[in-house]
Amino acid sequence: MNETILRRMKDLPSTHLLGTGTPMCAGCGGLEALHEIYDVLGSNTVFVNAAGCMTLLSVYPFTPFRGSWLYTAMASAPAGAQGVRDALDILKQQGRISEKEDLQVVTLTGDGSAYGMGLSATSGTIERNLDYLYICYDNEGYGNTGQQYSGATPHGAQTATSQGRTGFPGYKKDLFAIWVAHQPAYVATVIGAEPLDLARKIEKAKTIKGPRFILALAPCPTGWDYDPKDTVEIGKLAVKTGVWPLKEYVDGQVVHTKIPREREPVESYLKLQGRFRHLFEPVRNDRLIADIQTRIDHYWQSVSEA
Amino acid sequence: MNRKLITGNGAAAWGARLAMVDYIPAFPITPQTEIIETLANWIDRGEMQGKLVTLESEHSMITAAGAAASSGVRVFSATSSQGLLYGMEMLYNVAGWRVPMVLVNVSRGLAAPITLEPDHNDVMAARDSGFLQIHCATCQEVLDSVLLAHRLSEHEDVRLPVLVNQDGFYLSFTREPVDIPNPTAAKQFVGSYEEENLAFRASTPLSHAVAVLGGGPYSYFRYEIHLAAQQALTVYDELANEFRDFFGRHYPQIEAYRCDDADYVFVMIGSFATKAKEAVDRLREGGWNVGLMRPRLLRPFPRDNFVSLLQGKQAVAVIDQNLSMGMGGILHTELASALYGKPDMPAVLASFIGGLGGRDITTQEFFEMVTVLRKAVASGETPPPRLLFTHNEFREVEKLQAIAHVEREELGQH
Amino acid sequence: MYRVRFHGRGGQGMKTASRILGTAFFLEGYEVQDAPRYGAERRGAPIFAFVRASRSPINERGIIQQADLVIVADDSLIAVPAAGVLTGITNDTVLLIYSETDAQTWSSRLNLACTLIVLPADQAIVDPLQHHFVGTGCAGAAAQLLGVISREHLQQAIEQELVEHHRRIVVDKNIEYGLHAFDAMAAQKGCVKQGHPINLNNYQNPDWFTLPFEAARLAAPAIHAALTSEKSKTGLWRTMRPVIDYQRCNRCWWVCSTFCPDGAINVTTGNYPQIDYDHCKGCMVCVTQCPPHAILSVPETEAAKQKMEEAPA
Repeated sequence: MNETILRRMKDLPSTHLLGTGTPMCAGCGGLEALHEIYDVLGSNTVFVNAAGCMTLLSVYPFTPFRGSWLYTAMASAPAGAQGVRDALDILKQQGRISEKEDLQVVTLTGDGSAYGMGLSATSGTIERNLDYLYICYDNEGYGNTGQQYSGATPHGAQTATSQGRTGFPGYKKDLFAIWVAHQPAYVATVIGAEPLDLARKIEKAKTIKGPRFILALAPCPTGWDYDPKDTVEIGKLAVKTGVWPLKEYVDGQVVHTKIPREREPVESYLKLQGRFRHLFEPVRNDRLIADIQTRIDHYWQSVSEA
Repeated sequence: MNRKLITGNGAAAWGARLAMVDYIPAFPITPQTEIIETLANWIDRGEMQGKLVTLESEHSMITAAGAAASSGVRVFSATSSQGLLYGMEMLYNVAGWRVPMVLVNVSRGLAAPITLEPDHNDVMAARDSGFLQIHCATCQEVLDSVLLAHRLSEHEDVRLPVLVNQDGFYLSFTREPVDIPNPTAAKQFVGSYEEENLAFRASTPLSHAVAVLGGGPYSYFRYEIHLAAQQALTVYDELANEFRDFFGRHYPQIEAYRCDDADYVFVMIGSFATKAKEAVDRLREGGWNVGLMRPRLLRPFPRDNFVSLLQGKQAVAVIDQNLSMGMGGILHTELASALYGKPDMPAVLASFIGGLGGRDITTQEFFEMVTVLRKAVASGETPPPRLLFTHNEFREVEKLQAIAHVEREELGQH
Repeated sequence: MYRVRFHGRGGQGMKTASRILGTAFFLEGYEVQDAPRYGAERRGAPIFAFVRASRSPINERGIIQQADLVIVADDSLIAVPAAGVLTGITNDTVLLIYSETDAQTWSSRLNLACTLIVLPADQAIVDPLQHHFVGTGCAGAAAQLLGVISREHLQQAIEQELVEHHRRIVVDKNIEYGLHAFDAMAAQKGCVKQGHPINLNNYQNPDWFTLPFEAARLAAPAIHAALTSEKSKTGLWRTMRPVIDYQRCNRCWWVCSTFCPDGAINVTTGNYPQIDYDHCKGCMVCVTQCPPHAILSVPETEAAKQKMEEAPA
C-alpha cells in the first residue's frame, strides 16, 4: 500500500464535495464526519442508505450528492449495496458499461441500523466478501425518532427511553469487535473532530477491496443535549479521555492510531453533555462516574498490555 | 418442439433462463428452493449466464434485487410464504422505485400454525404492494408467464415489478408436459434490457428512492404507481397477443372456460381452478350450464373484463383459497366491488372458502356449489359464506385436540 | 385417464418410480402428471407418489383418492394405517405388491376383491431399504400391467430419469431390473383399466359442516401437555431391528442409551439397556457403538416373528 499523501492538516482538502442545504441539525457531528469522508472518497460513489437521520439528506427534489444515492430500508442497506455492486460487476463483465462508469459502493447508516436491525444483513455481506465501504454515523441512540436508547448507547446515558436517575443500564455494544470477528478487509473508528486521522483512514480504505467499515462517533447536539458549538470540542474530548479509541484493523491486526499520552478524566467529556447531567446534578453520582472511568481504564490497560 | 416433463419449479427456472436474466438474488424456502437450485446448477455448469447470490434473508434478497434493477440489470428472484412476508417491506419499496424485476412466489399457507402446503394468503398479502400479479394454473403457464412478466415489467408505460404466482406442491413439485420455447425465439420476444434513465453511473448522478415531505408529492408518486398498474392492462393484452404470435399459446387477462352460454360461473385463481374445469366438464355432461372464469391477472384487477364476461349470468361462486380475517374471501370482496352498480350483473355472488393449507377441493364439492347456486337463484337470496370443511374433518380435529389435551367440556358434541 | 399411486418408505425411490412411469407414458404420447407427496417425514417413513396419464389434457390435480393401480414397494406398510395404502381401493383397482409372500396369501390376508399381483422380492436382500432397484422394478411392472407402454419406452424412461445423477453401472442395473420386472408381468399385461370420472347423477354429498365459533382456549394451536410425541409410533419407520444379546451385554456406562438419537433405549435398574421398539427408528447407531458388540441387526420381518428377550432384572 502507498504511504499516505496526507501528512499534515494542510494536506486536507480545502474545497468540499458534499452540497450544502441539507436538513441535518446545526452542529451535526455525523454530517461533519460525512463531508470529510466524502472529500476523500470523491463523487464516483453511490451511497446506499438505511432509515435514519441521514435519510433526510436527500428529500425530493434536493440532494447534496455529486454522485449517486439509493434509499433502501432500515434493515437492509448492506444488501442494497450487494445488489448495486453485483449489477455493476455484471455490466462491466458483459461490456455494457466501461470501467469509467463504475462507482464505489458505500453503505451509510446510523447506529440504530448498524448495531441492531441491519446487523444480519451486514454480517451477510462480510461473509460474501462484498467489495463495499460501510459508514456508520454513531450518535449512540435512535436519533431521528428523538434519541431513544439503541445498542450503541453508552452506560449511564439518559435517552428518551432511559430517563431514570442512572440512565441507560446497558453497555455500548462493541461493533468494531463484531466486524473484526468477521475478518473483513478493513475496519476503523474515526471522528470528525480528528480530520487528519479520518482522512488517512478513508484514503487507505479506498484502496482496499472487500468489506470495509468506518465507524464514526457522531456527537449529536440534539440527542446528547449540548450547545452545537461544542461538537468538535466534545469529539476531541472523546479521544482525549479515551472514550473513543481511534484504531484500525487491517491485515489481521488491530492498531491504535492515536493513543492519548495522558488521558483526561472522563468527567470532562461527560460534563459537557446534558445526557450525563444526572451524574453531577443535583447530587454527584460518584459510583457511576467511577464505573464509567474504570471501564475506560481497563480498555486502555488491555491495549498497553497487548 | 421441445416438450418435456418438468415441475412448476423447473418451469419457473426455465422462464428465467430463457429471459436471459442477469442477476438472481436468492434465499431457500420450501417449496420454492428447487427453482434457485436449478438455476445455480445451470450457472455452475456454464449452461446459463447470470449471477446467483444467496442473501441471508428475503428482506435482503428483495433489497438486492431492487438495487440491482436500479443499477441496470435484468433481475429474477423467487420465494414463498413466510419469505414473501419477511421481504414484504421491500416489495412496497421496490415497486415505488419504479424498476422492473420478476419474482416468482410459490404459494404456501402462512403461520400460525405453520404449514408447508399451499393457499393464497401469502400472495394476497402482497396485493397492495405495487407488484403486479400473474397467477398460473399449469406448469406451462408458469414458464410462459415468467417471459411475459419480464416484458410487462420492463414496458416503458409500466416499469413495475411483477410477481408470478404458482401453487406449492400442486405445481411446484408436479411434473407436467411443458413446451420449452426455442431460446432464439424467447430472446427475440423478451428483448434486451433497457435501463432507461434509472441507473447508477459515474457520469450521471442519480439520487433514487428519496424521501418526500408532504402529502401532495407523496400522493402524486403513489397514485402514479396505481396508474401505471392500470396501464398494464392494455400493455398486457398487447403482450399476450404478441406472445401468441410467437409461441401459439394465448393467455387472456381472464381465462373464460365454457362461459359463453353459462348460467352459473365458478371464479377462482391458481392451479385448483383446473379442478373446477374438470367439474365444469362433468356438470356440462349432466346438462348444467356451468363455466369457469380464472383471472390470471390479479393486479391490475381485470375489472372491465369481468363486467363484460359476467353480463347476463345468473349466479357466481367465488372460491377463495385465502381468508381475510373478519371479512372473508378476498377475491369475493374484490369481485363484488368491481361489479357493484353495473347493469345486468349476476344477482347471486356466493362466497366459498376452500383449499386452505392445501386442503383438497373435490369434484363433488364443485357439484354441490352449483346446487347451492341453483337454490339461491330460485330463492333470490345469496347464501352465507361457506367454508369447505366436512363433519369428518371436524371429528379429526377433535381427535387431535384430545391428544393435545385441549379440554373440551362438550367433547363429542358436534 | 390412468391413475396410479406408489407407496413406499422414504429412501426407497418412490419419487423416481413415479417419474419413470410418468416419462414412459409421456414417451407413448400421453399427457402426464407425476408428483411425489412428502411432508415432514424422513428416511424410512411412509411416503407416496402418483401418476396420472391421459390421451387428453389433465385437469384433475393433487392426491389420487381412487387409483386404478396401487403399487406397494414395501409390504410392511400395508399394516400401517397412517400409510393409507389401501385408501380408495375398489373391485376395479389392481394392487401390485413387491413381496416375498405370494399373491394368494395376500389375497386371503387382506380379504380384497380387487386383482392382487405380487412382484417377487429379491430374497437375498436383508434390509428393505437396501432394495436399491425396487422403485424401478415397481415402475417396470406397472408399465406392463398398464399394457400401453412398450418395453423400449420403459427402458428409455429409466435411462432418462437416472442418467443425470447415477453412475453408468447403476443405470444399467436399474434398466436390467426394470425390464426383468416388466417381463415378469407378461401374463397380466394390460389388466389395469382406466377409471371413470365422477358421475354427477349419483355423487356423494360432501357433508359440509358449519364450523362453530370456539374460544381461543380451544382454538389456539397449542398442546397443553408434555411428551405427546410418544404417541407417534416411529418404530414403524424401522426396517431393521437392533436386538440386544443380554449374554454379551456387559452393562457398560450405557453407551447405546447415551448415543441413541431418539432416546429410545432405557436403562433398567440393573443397568441393562432395553430398547423401546415402539419408537426405535432403526438407525443402528447402538449396533455400531456397543463396545462388546452385543447388539445385533435383524430384519424387521424376521424379528417380528420372534419373541423379544426381556432385559434381565
